Amino acid sequence: MATLSIKSLGKTYPGNVTAVQDVDVEIADGEFIVLVGPSGCGKSTILRMIAGLEAITTGDLHIDGERVNDREPGDRNIAMVFQNYALYPHMSVRKNMEYGLKNEGLPKPEIAKRIEEASRTLRLEEYLDRKPRQLSGGQRQRVAMGRAIVRDPKVFLFDEPLSNLDAKLRTQLRAELKALHHRLGATFIYVTHDQVEAMSLADRIIIMNAGRVEQIGTPMDLYLRPATRFVADFIGSPAMNFIEGTVGEDRRSLAINGTQVLNMGQELPARAGAQVAMGMRPEHLGDAGGADIQVSLQVSFVEQLGADTVVHGNLSGGAQPLAVRLHGVHASEPGSEIALGCGMGHVHLFDTATGARLN
Amino acid sequence: MQKRVVFRSRLLPYLLVLPQIAITVIFFFWPSYQAIESSFFIEDAFGFSREWVGLQNYFELFDDPGYLKSFRTTLIFGVSVAFLAMSIALGLAVAANRVVKAATGYRTLLIWPYAVAPALAGVMWYFMMNPSLGIVAYWLRSLGVDWNHYLNGDQALLLVIVAAAWKQISYNFLFFLAGLQSIPKSMLEAAAIDRAGPVRRFWTIVFPLLTPTTFFLLVVNLVYAFFDTFSLIHATTEGGPVDATSVLVFRVYNTGFIGQDYGSSAAQSVILMALVIGMTFVQFRYVERKVQY
Repeated sequence: MATLSIKSLGKTYPGNVTAVQDVDVEIADGEFIVLVGPSGCGKSTILRMIAGLEAITTGDLHIDGERVNDREPGDRNIAMVFQNYALYPHMSVRKNMEYGLKNEGLPKPEIAKRIEEASRTLRLEEYLDRKPRQLSGGQRQRVAMGRAIVRDPKVFLFDEPLSNLDAKLRTQLRAELKALHHRLGATFIYVTHDQVEAMSLADRIIIMNAGRVEQIGTPMDLYLRPATRFVADFIGSPAMNFIEGTVGEDRRSLAINGTQVLNMGQELPARAGAQVAMGMRPEHLGDAGGADIQVSLQVSFVEQLGADTVVHGNLSGGAQPLAVRLHGVHASEPGSEIALGCGMGHVHLFDTATGARLN
Repeated sequence: MQKRVVFRSRLLPYLLVLPQIAITVIFFFWPSYQAIESSFFIEDAFGFSREWVGLQNYFELFDDPGYLKSFRTTLIFGVSVAFLAMSIALGLAVAANRVVKAATGYRTLLIWPYAVAPALAGVMWYFMMNPSLGIVAYWLRSLGVDWNHYLNGDQALLLVIVAAAWKQISYNFLFFLAGLQSIPKSMLEAAAIDRAGPVRRFWTIVFPLLTPTTFFLLVVNLVYAFFDTFSLIHATTEGGPVDATSVLVFRVYNTGFIGQDYGSSAAQSVILMALVIGMTFVQFRYVERKVQY
């Protein structure tokens, strides 16, 4: 259990390739932090810098108030679960879990006690004498977790631990992971590219893009008030609709492609003539009657999901793609038009050039 | 998935394997048979007559203290060569695996010795260690070591061991390097987080994971040292001084072509053949099946 303080952290590889820059975050004791972003955004690099597997180029990393920049991975009191689990293939499950404890020089009875506890928690008792290759993907994943738990570390690090598993198992282990975090009360830092995983697990999400932090906040912060267009686009499925246009003279309308004018219910927080992207989540589009913004959707195809229906198409009279998520079962013919509306409260306005939020 | 090809003609498949079978029969089976046959005869030096003696050639060999000593020499030679060549190669491979810049060039240089013919390798070491003009012998003397492999049998054995091992290092290096590169990096990182220092990581993770490579190389190196070092010894010590470096293969040559005792020479090669077959068996049986994790 520990606090983590990351100050203007950066990583530059030889050849001046910057993988991460200017990351600032304070992580509270027992927090579940998820680092999320597309591949190559630097999220794993941050995790590896916390673990000590990558040298920190700039900035400071403090664990429980102590600066650990120059400490060896083994001396940082952390444990890590790898994407490919990195189990030692020539050792049994028990030996895999013992390895770190033996290196620490713990007395034998203490080692046995911890392994017994961990294997009970993770339901691994009957597999203790097996080799990793005799286990299924989910079991290996649990062994990797067990190897971390027995160490009783201050911070748990997870590098996309569920991405090698099938969808059903992933959902199941996600729930187990959440329960485990609750029971251990330890600080978890978790890397994933899957926004659903991030939303469902995190206390706070750090969303990254091209080596920089886009936004740090609770899942609902990110969903309800995305700070940038990137965040708005990344969080939520199906992804947010964006309609790009120019703010009209009265600042109450949006000109799309120069031909179509969309009337807004109220004054927009942008100067006249500004290029903006208006974001509306598919689930926030609905009945046209009395809504602030009225749009018409020309249907191109329909996804029937049972609980919901996602209708994809274009903004009528234009090429801007638009999707709507309707509750329940709806039948819509391709080519037909649906009248939709959205309240101003659900509209996100971004600067087209910088991607920054305007409202 | 196994794909089976079905031939319409019955003759074609036999024709296809014929060249391989012909080579094996003519160059392996036939000489082997000849050796086994000759080992049961005593033949006069000019090949005019021979006499069936049964297993007498074998009995005489095992009564001969020289032959038994040669067995011991071969064992010391083989084990030392294998150990030396493998440990140095492993050290170099571990070092090469850490090299990031110009890694290919470095590796290429380390592979070069393998291209040197065994006899040349032997002669090179022979000159370097020559008591009257060798540079290494000169250095040794300045360190107070009285080096003279013409007179000192142990030193002569050491010389051929070093020369034979040097020749084999490149080969071992290649395999060890490939083995090291197949170990996932994350496994070593996990061990680092598990508080294992570099030395402990090597002995508890890397070395056990290299076991299949190590066993394979052990057999290959022993076979090399036992059977493939004739030209090297012939070019340097010629088995001397006083049989000190006369390993089994060299003795086969000595008995047959110098001593002209074809029967005994044939019996010795049959024993060597049995050894090769035994080691090949070990390799197939244990190395390829049992040594996995």
